[in-house]
Amino acid sequence: MSIYLLQVINGIGIGMLYFLLAVGLSIVFGLLRFVNFAHGAFYLLGAYFCFQMMRWGLSFWLALAVVPLVVGALGWLTEKLVLRHVYAKAHEFHILVTVGLALVIQELVILQWGPLGENVPVPDMLQGVVMWGGFVYPKYRLFVIGFTAVLALGLWYVLEGTRLGSAVRAGSESTEMVSLLGIDVFRIFSLVFALGAATAAIAGVLAAPMRGAEPFMGIEALGVAFVVVVVGGMGSFSGALIGGLLIGVVQSVMSTVWAEGARLMIYVAMAAVLLLRPHGLLGRKG
Amino acid sequence: MNTAMTTKTTTPLRRHFHLLLALAVVLAMPLTMQSGSLASEVLIYGLAAMGCNLLLGHTGLLSFGQGIFFGLGSYTIALTLTRWPLPMPLALALAIGMGALGAALVGWVAIRQRGTYFVMLTLAFAQMFYFIAYSMPGLTGGDNGLMDIPRPSLAVGKVTLWPLASPWQYYGFVAMVFLVAFWLLQRVSASIFGRTLLAVRDNEERAGAIGYDLRLLKLQAFVISGAVTGLAGALHAMMTGIAPLANAEYHTSEMILVMTVIGGTGNLLASLLGSAFYLLVGDWLSTLWPRWLLILGVVLMVVSLGLQRGLWGLGESAWNRLTGRRRAGDDAASQGGRA
Repeated sequence: MSIYLLQVINGIGIGMLYFLLAVGLSIVFGLLRFVNFAHGAFYLLGAYFCFQMMRWGLSFWLALAVVPLVVGALGWLTEKLVLRHVYAKAHEFHILVTVGLALVIQELVILQWGPLGENVPVPDMLQGVVMWGGFVYPKYRLFVIGFTAVLALGLWYVLEGTRLGSAVRAGSESTEMVSLLGIDVFRIFSLVFALGAATAAIAGVLAAPMRGAEPFMGIEALGVAFVVVVVGGMGSFSGALIGGLLIGVVQSVMSTVWAEGARLMIYVAMAAVLLLRPHGLLGRKG
Repeated sequence: MNTAMTTKTTTPLRRHFHLLLALAVVLAMPLTMQSGSLASEVLIYGLAAMGCNLLLGHTGLLSFGQGIFFGLGSYTIALTLTRWPLPMPLALALAIGMGALGAALVGWVAIRQRGTYFVMLTLAFAQMFYFIAYSMPGLTGGDNGLMDIPRPSLAVGKVTLWPLASPWQYYGFVAMVFLVAFWLLQRVSASIFGRTLLAVRDNEERAGAIGYDLRLLKLQAFVISGAVTGLAGALHAMMTGIAPLANAEYHTSEMILVMTVIGGTGNLLASLLGSAFYLLVGDWLSTLWPRWLLILGVVLMVVSLGLQRGLWGLGESAWNRLTGRRRAGDDAASQGGRA
């Protein structure tokens, strides 16, 4: 029985990372109305930048602070230099331009770090396990759960409690109305895109010590983020949280039952949710 | 939106013009190219891109799941040719059927969603198919894929009609299949059904309000697309002799989509251009620089930013400029007439 309990807690850890991945995607979609295929590439950059900083002998904590800022800045630039010129075009080109961007980033990563994966060490402070009686759990994973929970609260506050957040929420209802009220929507577009990129990068940094960094983790993460968003409902913060946790737990528990099929089961879970609730667990219709 | 792309009046002459153009390409490749396999690949991926084009250009559906049908086609032909003594054309038909069936299943779920949800679902299903293929090694060979797929000659009884052993012999067979499939697809896109798809693409609400069954129309387009892509996957597996897991990967879906977009979604033949560009430039660049996909990513961004009609559109404008005023005037007149 305790193996299942352990896997559920493991699943919560993975699920919080999935949440982090999906929430950025979801916010960007809510405002900009297209799905960012380069989201996985920002996650990939997060993991590799973390690897690079630790190779330089810098600490993991510094990477955790600096990498999201760097990737966020890259996202900000991307929005300003590339995406801004595509908004007036047909909808599919919004998506395709990010597909192109994702390809470029992935190839640049391979160019710089090679096609094989790299290992990222767990920071010294978080090595080893915690023990409470018979319960044993890796410290690092516990840290990831705690850290992402704090981060989720912070994000929730930004969205619900700040002026930027209310502009974002209003903008996802009606961009035109918000700009009529005298708010510079394009500034908010850049900021939100940067925020999305930064959250993906944080997920990348946090994931690096658990699964290493390899060039194709971006597309894999993108697929998972889509599943989470489809399950939870697009544009919903709590949907991303519930979807992420559900998918994480399903994957983790299934990995003890049927290891080869664990990744498959998250897609099966998605299909099941879709058939029962076509707009996701917490999604709005339309 | 992008009405200027495909609503050019498709007169019978124009339709035959494209078929003749395709025939010219098919005949020109053996004269200009060294490798029969590369030439076959251009036609095979051209078919797959056309299947994608039928969705993107004609129905307005952006599908990241074409790799599913490509993979299904290649697995099906590999299984039938290695395990059951089925004649090759029948095995090919079975692969087409499996492609169509897969598309019907994926479409049935994905088409309930619109816009972005649909796009995400196609990718999620592509990943799902990959993991299905990966976790069923008994059927698909898992990570190794299926190997040693034979390439039997086209024969009636014991009389060999068309040996397929050498690459150029196989190219001849692929070319024939390609031309027939292209002709059929042209017929479909020029039919009332094809025109209705354009209506769905241009204004879904209005098409629905007129009384068209949107889901059914989209599903039909999806099934046709799946069938063509399944055929392409089967031809590819027969060409290489293997049905690798890579055929079911995201990369295959992405490749098919990128070919379609770079070629241009205005008409079906543009997809052949996209496939030829991708494979020939790729073949040339990959010997010089293994990371040539980087350039491809940049090309895709450029096409999305300022060249939405793709290479075909670029060629068309260049041609109009070259052939002078009269043609350009004609175009302007016909565009004015439409607006």
